[in-house]
Amino acid sequence: MPNNRFPKLHILSSSPHTLTFELSETDVSVANTLRRMLIADVPTLAIDLVSVHENTTCLLDEYLSHRLGMIPLRYYDDTANRYGDPSKEFREPRDCTCEDGCPKCWVTFTLGVQFSDKTDNPNTKTVSITSADLKSSNSNVSPASFLSEEEEENAQEEGISLVKLARGQHLYLEARARLGCSKEHAKWCPVAVATYRFIPEITLNTPALSKLTLKQREELVECCPDQILKIDDVTGQIILAEDYEDKATFTEDLHYLQESMKGSPEDDNFITVKQSESRFVFTVESTGCMHPVEITRSAMRRMEEKLIMLKGECAGINEGV
Amino acid sequence: MNAPERTAAFTLDEDNDERKITYLPSPQIPNAGTFTFNKEDHTMGNLIRHQLLRNPNVHFVGYMHPHPLIHRIDMKIQTRDGTTNPGDVLLEAIDDLTTECGQLQEKFDDAMSKFEEEEHGNTGRNM
Ligand SMILES: [Zn+2]
Repeated sequence: MPNNRFPKLHILSSSPHTLTFELSETDVSVANTLRRMLIADVPTLAIDLVSVHENTTCLLDEYLSHRLGMIPLRYYDDTANRYGDPSKEFREPRDCTCEDGCPKCWVTFTLGVQFSDKTDNPNTKTVSITSADLKSSNSNVSPASFLSEEEEENAQEEGISLVKLARGQHLYLEARARLGCSKEHAKWCPVAVATYRFIPEITLNTPALSKLTLKQREELVECCPDQILKIDDVTGQIILAEDYEDKATFTEDLHYLQESMKGSPEDDNFITVKQSESRFVFTVESTGCMHPVEITRSAMRRMEEKLIMLKGECAGINEGV
Repeated sequence: MNAPERTAAFTLDEDNDERKITYLPSPQIPNAGTFTFNKEDHTMGNLIRHQLLRNPNVHFVGYMHPHPLIHRIDMKIQTRDGTTNPGDVLLEAIDDLTTECGQLQEKFDDAMSKFEEEEHGNTGRNM
């Protein structure tokens, strides 16, 4: 295998909603495949079938069903003792061995609320039905609401709003959730954000820079809005700020300004800014259905499974099967 | 009513015996041919193309996704000489990528445990 790469990975930060990491010593094609896998190929749970028994609210059945589908659902992994990957516990109904639905492929939620259940106050005009009113058939699956106790204490409401009830109205329905991936519908998408950015590579042409006046060098430093350059107090030369890799975003002004400082257009650049071709900073932000670490693990696992499947198929083609 | 099933975008049409990969050797050029990856898109297409381009035995590789509603990619591969054929280089490329992906998962788990040790000394992963 002559063309192997050995990628490196370094976690920059991790929180219940966001994960950032640096992937290096690999190619953009790998980074982009990982990004696309995060968005479209990670299986999650979402409500897919709704039976509305009685609905006297102001919203149509279809409208309510759509809103139900959008609720992120979390699966609590008993063995790992945290919110985990639902594909370890559930199967997609079309891959399941059962005939017409079993607890391994469908999770049932019931919702039954009437106005009088919610309030005794005769002056109350409306009450809200939220995701917290859904009763799950599986104690490990619940609508995602708050990521921490602190968040729950500070929040004004107790779940994701579905519809408001006026006096005398009620809503009874049964909703069934299943595993799916967001190639089928975006409601199964586990990430709100999954992006990567290229690390900047800045080279200073010190011999050329030292020929500039101090004023010109100061101009170059000041034209960068992200403060990626600074003047060394002792030597008066331009040096890179320590954290320029994290800060650099806009360097067009730098490009135009140094063009104007050149003696002739063919002269070497004073400062060259390039995008790294092998270092990427990923940001993965969860919708709340899974921990971003689990999302990333799941995406990588799916990527490998897919490649192994293609490898088998390709070997079959080569042998003329 | 005429809308195709959403699952048709990523599941093989088993009723019509659809295969994941089919190969059509080029009638004009030796050592060249077109691989059709059914129910795949840019996710795998671009990855495999880039990996093939790193192989010095590959003379040409390109892929196309004919239309957003046609769920397949066609990948043309031409090798440099008669000693290797397009099927071999493709298999090698996918094999290398599988190894890399395995590496990636290992590295991610290592990085994660290292990060957790440094940050908290405990899990800190709980939602
Ligand atoms: Zn089942």
